[in-house]
Amino acid sequence: MNNLKYVGKPVTRIDGLEKITGAAIYTDDIEFGPNLLYAEIVESTHAHAIIKKIDTSEAEKIPGVVKIFTGKDFPFKFGLYMKDRYIFAQDKVRFIGEQIAAVIARDPKTALKAAKLVKVEYEPLPEVFNQIDALNNDSVIIHPDLGSYEHVPWFFPKAGTNIAHWRKIRKGNIDQGFAEAYFILEDTYKVPRYAHCAIETHVAIAKYDLSGRLTVWASSQSPFTQRHLFAEALSSLGIQHKDVRVIAPHVGGGFGGKAGVTMEILSAALATKLKGYTVKIRWNRAQEFYNTYQRLGVVAKIKMGVKKDGTITAMQHQLYWDAGAYVEYGANVVNAAGLSAIGPYKIPNIYIDSICIYTNMPPTGAYRGFGYSEFLFGLESHINRIATALKIDPVQFRKLNAIKEGDSLAYGAEMNPNGLLEAISKVEKEIEWGKKEVSDNPKKAIGKGFALFWKAPAMPPNASSSAFLKFNEDGSINILASAMDIGQGFLTVMAQIASEILSVPVSKIRVENPDTDRNPYEWQTVASHITWSTGNAVKQAALDAKEQIFNIVSKTLHLPKDMLYLEDEAVKCYTKKNFKLPLKDFVINGIQSEDGTYKGGPIIGKGVFMPEFSSTNSDPETSQGGHPNVHYTVGAAAVKIEIDKDTGKIKVLKAVEAVDAGKAINPDLVKGQITGGLLQGLATVLYEDIRFDEKGRMLNPNFTDYKIPTSMDIPDEIVPIIIEVAQPDGPFGARGMGEHTMLPAAPMIANAIEDALGIRLKSMPLTAEKIALEYIKTKHK
Amino acid sequence: MKKTTEITFKLNGEIRNITVNNNDILLDVLRDKLGIKSPKCGCERGDCGACTILIDNKSVRSCLILAVEVDGHEITTVEGLSNQDITILQKNFVEMNSFQCGFCAPGVIISTHELLMNNPHPSKEEIKEALAGNLCRCTGYTPIIDAVIETSKKGGNKNE
Amino acid sequence: MPITHEFEYYKPDNWKEVTALLEKYKGKAKILAGGTDLLLKIKDDIETPEAIIDIKNIPNIDKIQLENNKLFIGAGVTFSQLINSEIIKSELYLLWEAAKTVASVGTRNRATIVGNICSAVPSLDSGPALLIYEAIINVISANGQRQIPISEWFVAPKKTNIKNNEAVVSIEINKPTKPNGTCYVKLGRYSGEDLAQAGIGIMISDNYSYKIALCALAPTPKRAHKIEYILNGNQLSENLINQAKQIISTEISPITDIRASKEYRLHMASVMLERGLNIALKRYNGEKIEPFNYLGG
Repeated sequence: MNNLKYVGKPVTRIDGLEKITGAAIYTDDIEFGPNLLYAEIVESTHAHAIIKKIDTSEAEKIPGVVKIFTGKDFPFKFGLYMKDRYIFAQDKVRFIGEQIAAVIARDPKTALKAAKLVKVEYEPLPEVFNQIDALNNDSVIIHPDLGSYEHVPWFFPKAGTNIAHWRKIRKGNIDQGFAEAYFILEDTYKVPRYAHCAIETHVAIAKYDLSGRLTVWASSQSPFTQRHLFAEALSSLGIQHKDVRVIAPHVGGGFGGKAGVTMEILSAALATKLKGYTVKIRWNRAQEFYNTYQRLGVVAKIKMGVKKDGTITAMQHQLYWDAGAYVEYGANVVNAAGLSAIGPYKIPNIYIDSICIYTNMPPTGAYRGFGYSEFLFGLESHINRIATALKIDPVQFRKLNAIKEGDSLAYGAEMNPNGLLEAISKVEKEIEWGKKEVSDNPKKAIGKGFALFWKAPAMPPNASSSAFLKFNEDGSINILASAMDIGQGFLTVMAQIASEILSVPVSKIRVENPDTDRNPYEWQTVASHITWSTGNAVKQAALDAKEQIFNIVSKTLHLPKDMLYLEDEAVKCYTKKNFKLPLKDFVINGIQSEDGTYKGGPIIGKGVFMPEFSSTNSDPETSQGGHPNVHYTVGAAAVKIEIDKDTGKIKVLKAVEAVDAGKAINPDLVKGQITGGLLQGLATVLYEDIRFDEKGRMLNPNFTDYKIPTSMDIPDEIVPIIIEVAQPDGPFGARGMGEHTMLPAAPMIANAIEDALGIRLKSMPLTAEKIALEYIKTKHK
Repeated sequence: MKKTTEITFKLNGEIRNITVNNNDILLDVLRDKLGIKSPKCGCERGDCGACTILIDNKSVRSCLILAVEVDGHEITTVEGLSNQDITILQKNFVEMNSFQCGFCAPGVIISTHELLMNNPHPSKEEIKEALAGNLCRCTGYTPIIDAVIETSKKGGNKNE
Repeated sequence: MPITHEFEYYKPDNWKEVTALLEKYKGKAKILAGGTDLLLKIKDDIETPEAIIDIKNIPNIDKIQLENNKLFIGAGVTFSQLINSEIIKSELYLLWEAAKTVASVGTRNRATIVGNICSAVPSLDSGPALLIYEAIINVISANGQRQIPISEWFVAPKKTNIKNNEAVVSIEINKPTKPNGTCYVKLGRYSGEDLAQAGIGIMISDNYSYKIALCALAPTPKRAHKIEYILNGNQLSENLINQAKQIISTEISPITDIRASKEYRLHMASVMLERGLNIALKRYNGEKIEPFNYLGG
């Protein structure tokens, strides 16, 4: 790995200029001409009800209204991991905000005006809003037909209940594990729902042309998966995959919310009934809050046993997830969390239940961290408390139990190479762990908190990436892949990988945004797996191109192939010092041989990557066997805070985070993920606070009352630390880390609060109000 | 009822004359009628700053302004800043990898452009305050602030 | 989202035309200055005016003037103008400090203080300062002009004493005597822009006379006369502050809403009063203290 010229360098983003000149096109920026229609969605005002009647008569009278559609026009189900969701509600609605009808008009104002006039009559049904109540025997059953739903083979729904999936880990002997323990701690931790709040809301525009070809433009992390779900859902119309095209322009933030399919299917479906027209739906901010995926809520019960020296002997971890009205994506969060709820620790006896429960709340799905932030809050808090109770330093405790390469994971497979201990040491040093600091203001208390984190990509065992790489006449390159740059810098990193292999500078490489017609297949841009997976595909495409280059040069110019190399955009030869053939001379036009004929032609590289070692075959009752997760990325983080004892307000003085990226292909972008992810994580624990009323209606679907960080809220100091313990099957040793950076935020703050004030808060968010009022209570005792 | 009004105003240096509905929002008119796509719609309530533009060199939230109100005034958007040579501030934003998804960028550029016009050497606190109305979910703000500091060190923000 | 409701739009350049329009539309016309409040209400169908009267073209409407020891703030003066005004900073520091806590630059460049008091939300940041400065609101109608003292301005949440054929022309404040020391303490959920969950304004002047006013702790912004009575004429001591804190619950009626609970508001009112008094005292004694996060975070 020495002498890398492009990989490992803080290269300038290749999409930077576009974005700061205003040239970058996002989905809502595209012009579609006078045949563009606008759809406004009529939404349910009940959390659980039978739809008795939909009266569109008043709405239809408004001039400019083209058509109004309801569920009966689209009796199709869809879903990513389970088909439990409808394009429009059929006989029932299951959450407030669920789409019931669509008003199509020639301009947005008319559509909005008419939508307000659609009248819906409901017959209310009993509702259930929290996951614990939904498990009661007398709870209403939200999906009575659950037993007949199609789903991936590694999900285990319980028909006749509200349990959509139950992931069980049984390893070792849990009773014996607790019997061996010197100390056992059992407690419950609660994490509510959260919203992604990407600044760009969901937008989807669809055109079903007169020849029956469907094109969808969408702000999307998953153009191919969306194409697949559209084609499947609309297959009764005779639509083949080849006739569905999804184009994904620049995305204004995803964070998981623009993965899978939510409102995009509305545009796609409506278009099929409006042949020759284009129809646009743009979610407003309120809809973005309550009718796209939310992050699941969880009630976590942890019981952990340890020996006197702090070695963990047993862990029982029960995770009850509020997954909402439709769990086609959310159920995989439950699955992923279940497989990894031991945290980055070596634990011999494990008993995990991760249960996905239907409620009459908005549907849940992918959110940065995919269940790991949720369970790590409880786990890293719990670990701290045990360490403290045993009078063992919390960092020492973690070092003692930290999982190492080769150790057994919760499902039996082996842990990959990782720099966890290095991360812990570096963070420990940077935060000056062990040095107690006191504020000179008697009203303030300073505390430090530590947390470890880990995550593996949660994806099917056959998720794949592919890439094409083509040269141009001037030696510049276009790379076509269908992963999405949602801000993480994917386009730039792919260019760096290709640069390194082909010696073409990054400035001469363009990576295109996805278009399912032109760019080859990519499963989804999620799971922090793109640098690894698509990176491998691009690397392979570059190597393929290099192979073609060397083949044609060696064959036509009679040079030994194994002595050729690429440097400064030219082919050179170790055994022929003066040989230098610029790439641009032949990458399109071929090389002329002695007889005047040309050999070769356009150099086009192809790369495909699909892990061939991953499998979900395991015992459903124990989850042992199989290799569901390709690898884990690990890290450690610490925070130093100053709390105002009277007000409960926290100032983050310093945050340190070390993440093992395997190889940071672009260190600047890795640091960007740390800075951005940490702030997003801190926001969930300090002030993001979703509220619902007792009828299931979200009370704060706006930025006035759902607070996301501003420039005034940044920590005084953030120290990013990049660890590089190579991932053997990653491009240049890289593995993903985009989601991971927000994972430790909540527990390390909870631990810091305990360090500062001696109070332990177990229910997020840990707002100033909660801290102040709890502190008063404990002071009075 | 007279529902429309004719307005005349300057847009990025060019005089424009159009007729708008009285209830047209300025952001919508810029994007849908005048082809100005840089200001974005993020929240419709003036909370996120993605729609920020300059009116008479002052930053404003165009989602809370009626198009009719700009009659007789001057509007500047990022298109106006970029159409000749980009400013030093914009150049630093690129070189220092200040943005990720880029959706907040036009609003941020307008706010920081205004700051540097009025205060060529702002402190970090002043920069944070100037940016407080522009929400960014990706970057954590630090690389944006660093680029503004770098620009002010080099003698302020002018076109390259 | 777009506005579906349709209306006429007027842009008069004198008050006579404004009042004539108000008469014509009989309460169905709304005055537009900054628009940051009104446009939200129209988008949400809370307001459905038949006409909008844009007053930004009226000459001198955006002027801040000092005349004969009286400060006049025109109906078009924005929060940014207040913050950038030397006169406001030197003479009405409490109002200057409160203005800096409102929203953010882009909103402050449009939002007007007169619009703020017309919205009359219980949490309005300019409330405590105007109450303490005993401001007078000058209104105009087809029948002539009249003055409404700020103490009579706020009637109920989002309701003022203005009639629907009247418009506010300016706010007038007698220049406060110096030396005086002020402090505005605002409770938000974090350091970013937020509506006040509680707000306390304090002015100490004239041989220890105290004026204290609150927002977001009662249906309307109000003066805390009982606390003023205990404090007036006395130098501040820990004992005196404690006495004041003890009766604070008799001055306020905080509620629980999605922003904060009653218990926290009650607790914080007492903390904010103490901290505000201490800062105001230091400033009264001549110390230059720039506004900072008095409550931490």
